[in-house]
This record gives sequence, C-alpha cells and structure tokens, in this order.
Amino acid sequence: MLFEINNLSKVYAGRKVLDIPELRLEKGKVYGLLGPNGSGKTTLLEILSFLLPPTTGEIVYGSRKVDFSEGFLQGLRREVVMVEQQPILFTTSVYKNVEFGLGVRGVPKERRKRIIYEVLDLVGMREFAEASAHKLSGGETQRVAIARALACSPKVILLDEPTSNVDIENQIAIEGILRDINIQKGIFVIFATHNTIQATKLSDHIVFLFNGRPASSVYENIFSGLISTDDNGKKYCSIHDKLKIAVRTNKTGYVKISVNPIMIKVLPARDARAGDHRLLGRVMQLIDEGDHVRALIDVGIPFSALLSQREYKHAPVMAGESVALFCPPESIEVV
Amino acid sequence: MDLLIDSLISAILLLKSLDAEVCAIVLVSLKVSSSSTLIASLIGIPAGFAIAFKEFRGKRMTITILNTLLALPTVVIGLFVYAFVSRRGIFGPLDLLYTQKAIVIGQVILIIPIVTTFTIAAISRIDERYRKSAMTLGATTLQTAGVVFREARFSIMAAVIASFGRVIAEVGISMMLGGNAKGFTRTMTTAMALEYDKGEFVLAVALGLILLTISFAVNLFFNYLQGRARA
Repeated sequence: MLFEINNLSKVYAGRKVLDIPELRLEKGKVYGLLGPNGSGKTTLLEILSFLLPPTTGEIVYGSRKVDFSEGFLQGLRREVVMVEQQPILFTTSVYKNVEFGLGVRGVPKERRKRIIYEVLDLVGMREFAEASAHKLSGGETQRVAIARALACSPKVILLDEPTSNVDIENQIAIEGILRDINIQKGIFVIFATHNTIQATKLSDHIVFLFNGRPASSVYENIFSGLISTDDNGKKYCSIHDKLKIAVRTNKTGYVKISVNPIMIKVLPARDARAGDHRLLGRVMQLIDEGDHVRALIDVGIPFSALLSQREYKHAPVMAGESVALFCPPESIEVV
Repeated sequence: MDLLIDSLISAILLLKSLDAEVCAIVLVSLKVSSSSTLIASLIGIPAGFAIAFKEFRGKRMTITILNTLLALPTVVIGLFVYAFVSRRGIFGPLDLLYTQKAIVIGQVILIIPIVTTFTIAAISRIDERYRKSAMTLGATTLQTAGVVFREARFSIMAAVIASFGRVIAEVGISMMLGGNAKGFTRTMTTAMALEYDKGEFVLAVALGLILLTISFAVNLFFNYLQGRARA
C-alpha cells in the first residue's frame, strides 16, 4: 500500500471541504480522482503531495506515518511531485525549469543534461528547450510542467485536471504521457478529473469524490434547483422555468440533485407517455464506453444517460433523434 | 528667465571643465548615497522578505508602522540621530557628528522603511504557485525563498533604485548630521542649498543637472536590465 488515509479532514474558514474516513491507494497503479468542481480533489492532491497539512486525521505513506512538520516533509516531497491544474513555470528557459528539481537534489551538471533532454523527449518538447517558458501555450506549459516533475524521478506523480485547459491535440499527448510514465517508468500516477470518460480510459481504479467525501459511484447530472410542492402534495425540483424534475425529499428551498445516469431509461419519444419522471429531449452525442454507451441528451440542459450494450442494441437511439428520458425516483438523489 | 538660461550655460561650461570642486561634491554624494542604499538594502530586503513570507502575530501592525515611517521627515531623523551622536549623546565618544558616517546612519533610517515596504509589496504580489511549485519539486525553505526572490527581483530592484533616488536628493539629514563641510561632507544637495543662500546659481544649477543625470542613468540601466530579462 502506498497511501493509507484514516479519518482525514480539512476545514477552511469553518467549512469542512474534505472528510475521508478511509482510503487506500495501492502501489504501481493509475488512480483517477473523479468528481465535480468543488468536490475536494485539489485539496486531497495537495495533502497527498505534502503541500497542505490536514486539519485532522492520519496519512501513512509507504510504511511511514506522515508528520506534517516542515523538517519531515521535505524528504517526502522529493518522492511525490504534484503538477497543478494551471502550472506556473519559472521566468527562465524551459531547460532551466526542468533543471530546477535536479539542482535542488544536487544532481551533477553532466547528468542533468541527459535527464532533461530525456524527459523533454518524453513529453515532445525537446525543440523548446531553449525557449522562454513564459512564451509557451497552455498545453505546452502543461507538458513542460510534467517534464519538470518527471525530471525529479518521483515515485508518485499527482496531476490536477491535467487536460482541463488544453486543446484536443495536447489532451491526446498528455493522456499518452500519463500512460507511458506509469508503464515505462513505473511511476505511480494519481490524476484528478471531472471527465468520466478520461477517468475510465486512463485509470486502473477510480476514486469518486463528492462534497469532499468518497462516494460509491460518480455523481453525475448534478443540478441546483428550488424544491416546490404542487396541489397534490407532489414535490418537484425546478431547475429552470421549463424544467421540473419530480423528487422525493423532505428538504425545502434550494438543493442540489444528482440523477444517476445508469438508472435513466432512454425511450423513443413516440413510445413515451406523459408522467412526472419523463423528460423530452434530443440526442446530441453517443459515446462507446465499452460495457456501456453514453448518450448526451439535451432536455433544456445537457443530461447524461448510460445504456448497457444490451439496452442499446435492443432499442438503439440515433444522434439527433427526439427521445424521452425516464428518471425513476430511485435514480434521483438530493445531495 | 535670463538668469536661469545664463546659469544653465555657465553650469554646462563648468561641467565641461571637470571642475575639481564639483567632482569632489559629486563623489561625496555618490559615496554616501551608495553606502546608505547598500546598508538599507542589506537590512530592508531580508526584513521585507521575512515579513511577507511568514505569518506571525502583529504582521498587519508591523506593515502599518512601516507605511507610517515612509512619511518620516528628514529633519526629524536628523534631530533623532543628532541626539545620539552629538557630544552629549550616548555615541558622542565615537565622534560621528559632522562625518559622512553620520549622514549614512540618518539616510539608512530614512530608507529602510522604503526598501522594506516595497519588498513586502513585491513578494506579496508574486503568484503563490511559484512557492508551491518549488516546494513540490523538493526545494528547501531557503531554495523556495530563492525562487520567490528571483521572480520578484525587478520589483525589489525598483525599491532599491527608489531608495537611492530618495537619499541622493535629500538635504535635511545631510545638512544636520554632515554639516556641509567642504571636501568632507558637502553633498550635491547641501552645496545647492548653500549656493542658493549665497545667490550663486551657477554651481547650484550644475549640480542639479548632475543629480538629474545620475537619476536618469540609474533608471535607464534598470530599464535595460528589465528589457533584457523579458526578451
């Protein structure tokens, strides 16, 4: 086991942003930390990279219990490197940026050059070695930041939303790099993302986070709305003027709801009968995810539904087709 | 107007002839101002860095006091230091009064708040991600501070230049603690004040020209360095 987390919490200004009773992360794997914005992914990564002390709780790294006093942490930081969501490069050349971690580790100059060009090759940035780091694009900056981290030969690399601010070309390149560094260099990779497809594609294990707590599955289709009650006593969550979803809850006022995509039924619009749990929309996108087909449906807001391959073969839906979504009460959770 | 133009022409001729008295005054000014800027920087930059970098009780009050000290008049500093270095003061036996050292002491007190507050502002403006990046790449606290310092270097340099500009142009401390002794403690500003009192404008204007030229040259050099770094 590489990381063992027990009763970990982090409180900012009186608000608990992270609350993890237990989490185990095994050596050698690629972990995807999946959750929506504000779910505590960055805070968890910063704690795991020993940049931020938890408010309470215990972390065991390797077999050592982590003491979050400054003197103890520096040794650990030399094994665990984090790449931020929007990394910043020092105002010097790409080469000197990548050299930084080697310099602080006292690696001899002659060895540094070989390592620097090796990692720049790995991220496809060799020809930018002498370029000014501040003149690079977002994707190039992200790749150099990964190279800078890799040059340190870490045991663990943590990446916070590594592809959220880059174009598709750089996204493909970065995803390739993540796979390569795990397979070729044996580096343990933990990356945060809110992209379910990316997490499924790249990771051996997915850790779901929601509102700072581990969740049993990913919360998707998260919407904020106001709870209202009709004349018959039925409760609805009004997402906007034209979109109301029937819910079962005792809560009132503004709430967040999550609709489990795997429990949503997608039917051709002609087969749909009117009802509280039916929403009419149009299929915008279909994505093959192996066991499932993900359908992105516009019902006034984008809705994601996961169909099993059997369901999809039985009643295939086409892009552009009008459909009805059936969201059974048990698919809706007020969170 | 004629007086000014005539003085200006005479001043240029005086400068061209490399007048010995002018050269001596300029050298004293440069020596004193450079020394006080260097000493104040050696104290003020680390102090500003520590205040900006560390969280401690009374941090905001410390910054408020430093900001207040920016408005300290030179005559107040002159009086304060005089009380210590005059014959009756506790440092009287050191015979510092009316020496270049006394001027340097006063000027250091004058500009330490400038260097410190500018350094605090410079460090505070540096993106927090620089510090985090250095730390996650394995840097020690000192190495991390070095990274932040490097990123703030031009703002800190601007603080040093502003301080140099302040001391080379001040007159109160130089006059009260230096005494304006010819060849020893006569600086450009005290000489200009004296020449004005005498109604002799030529030397005053010549020294004024030199003072402005020095300030211009220092700023030009600073801009050149900044330009090179951004290229």
